[in-house]
Amino acid sequence: MKTKIFTLVLLALALYSCNKDTNIPIPSAGPNSIIKETLPLQAASKLLMEGVYRVTSGSDFFGDDLVVKWNRTSLSLACSNGKYVVLQVGHLDSVIFLQGYWRNGYTDGTGLASLFISRDEGGGSIVTGNGSQKIIMRGAYGIQTGLPDQALVLKYMRPFSDTVKNSKFYILAHRSGGRTSDRLPYSENSIEMINYTEKLGSTGIEVDVRLTSDGVAFIYHDPDINIRLTKKGPLAGPIENFTWAQLSTFVRLIHGEKIPTLEDALTFVVDSTLLRFVYLDMKESNNTMAKVVPIQQRILERAKQKGRELMIVIGIPSTDVLNELMTYPDYQNIPSLCELTVDDARKANSMVWGPRWTLGTQNDLVEQMHKEGRLSVCWTIDVISWIKEYVNTGHFDGMLTNYPYVLAYYHYIQ
Amino acid sequence: MKMFFRHVILTLLFLPGCYSLQAQKPVPRDTFDITRHSMQFPHQYKKWGFQVSAGLLLVKPPFDLMENNYQGPLVNIHATFGLPWKFSLEGDISSILISNQFSLGPRLSFLIRNFGIKLGWDVAFSYGQLRQFGFDNKSKVWIHYPSISLGYKLKTMAFTFKAELIGVSRVSQTTGENEVVQSRNFFNGFTGAIYVEQRLWKDHVFMVGIKDNYEKLYWPTWMLFTTFNRFYHIPELSFIWIL
Repeated sequence: MKTKIFTLVLLALALYSCNKDTNIPIPSAGPNSIIKETLPLQAASKLLMEGVYRVTSGSDFFGDDLVVKWNRTSLSLACSNGKYVVLQVGHLDSVIFLQGYWRNGYTDGTGLASLFISRDEGGGSIVTGNGSQKIIMRGAYGIQTGLPDQALVLKYMRPFSDTVKNSKFYILAHRSGGRTSDRLPYSENSIEMINYTEKLGSTGIEVDVRLTSDGVAFIYHDPDINIRLTKKGPLAGPIENFTWAQLSTFVRLIHGEKIPTLEDALTFVVDSTLLRFVYLDMKESNNTMAKVVPIQQRILERAKQKGRELMIVIGIPSTDVLNELMTYPDYQNIPSLCELTVDDARKANSMVWGPRWTLGTQNDLVEQMHKEGRLSVCWTIDVISWIKEYVNTGHFDGMLTNYPYVLAYYHYIQ
Repeated sequence: MKMFFRHVILTLLFLPGCYSLQAQKPVPRDTFDITRHSMQFPHQYKKWGFQVSAGLLLVKPPFDLMENNYQGPLVNIHATFGLPWKFSLEGDISSILISNQFSLGPRLSFLIRNFGIKLGWDVAFSYGQLRQFGFDNKSKVWIHYPSISLGYKLKTMAFTFKAELIGVSRVSQTTGENEVVQSRNFFNGFTGAIYVEQRLWKDHVFMVGIKDNYEKLYWPTWMLFTTFNRFYHIPELSFIWIL
């Protein structure tokens, strides 16, 4: 009896000590997906599909309208209420099939989504690449693990406005896509998340930079190894006490990925994404610049060679980091983003001024920065009503958020 | 030596007398009744009577919001004002300086032998302001708390279970010169709490409580501008002195 009780107690302890699984898996249509039977669309065809659509069926769930925008690998639908849809697209003759999933970023809601565009409702003209954009997408969505059985019909309303087309507005994803608490399928600050973030509507990312005890720059947010960010393992304590060999061997991020070095992450950005902006949030100021600046220069050179339009800026979150940057030779030519005052931004000759969003839109200061040839990006804005307010009344050149799809909606709907 | 014996003799003479006097003096009857000193236990408050309690609420906001295991105290002052019939009026202030909540609401209480039941409805205004550390913000939230309390009392001790619903009628926030109404009229969750009120000495009563706030928007954390539309368990321990 005692042994049984002891075993039960041990079992309970073992279960309790496991990482809390808050993962929300991406719904999949499984082996019956039609997409693998289809042919990919040409670039010109893809562009014809982009624009603002009216939700004629399913508006109580997705809102009255939504934004349809291609990313590197898929078609993303951004809604006003925090939902987004990621769809794989292909065609069979003149019929276009769209299959994927939706997710509500503010809740745990998710489900399948399946649509098609018939030949007469835009499919034919999209496939040939010279259509009239009278597109109607018909289909359905499901709730959680259920089959798509709720009607969803989207009707093309208009293309993006000239304001949007001519804008270089940056939709920046916090911690490369979102926080652990946002329950995304990949870990924050991981290469896998960088690979995923464009599906969320991001055109740039912010990552957190630290140094190992042997001077390797890597990306990770917290000062310690903890179960918020990592799976349970043999290492604990301040993460900067460990060497890169120790971290890469013994630590796995919460979804099982390896912690990336800064160089690997940035190389991935250049080689494998279309991201236009990387914001390096410096988490320490102890001889970090000497390690990070050469990496920044190398990656910018690599991007230039590949013809990639990419901005990589070193964040200046504190006067300590500012002072360290200013000890670096030729610091005024190092692309940086100053989170401090406009005067500090001038002192460091920062390319970007990045105030907290909680200080207000500060349009007068933003305009001053523009006149001096600097950009201005605010961080980290998540509340839907504030995102809407800032897009409509602010003069920022970009915003950092955990919900890039919400920012994408309010930007592209302008 | 003479003095010593005199003292001994006097003591022997008077001690039985003293004892006898003590025995004859009537012992004051302990008339303490926990209902007259209780804040949470449902009972009829003395008409126009006024009672105040003060203490600390130790809360642990959700890990998702804080990204760490932060725990913090709220200062709490609670007052009850007895009204005719079985009504009373309760007011409450909870504060961490940058985040404050004021609530006021009527109560209707019934006491049947040792059991009590109390129905209430509080309207609360939560106000927060922060103009430092990169913030220039204000927050105003209107909240409704309909509640029911069930209690059982002993002579010097009372146990109360209290359940509340939480309905938020308006959330507005200011950032710099911009103000937005973030949301209106939503069900925010509910709470369940157990309070133990215990006489310590004379008429001094101390209350300990444990409460589970199961809600989406937790007003003291407004400055985090949380967006999660999920319910969280937020434990709260109360240490209250009834004045």
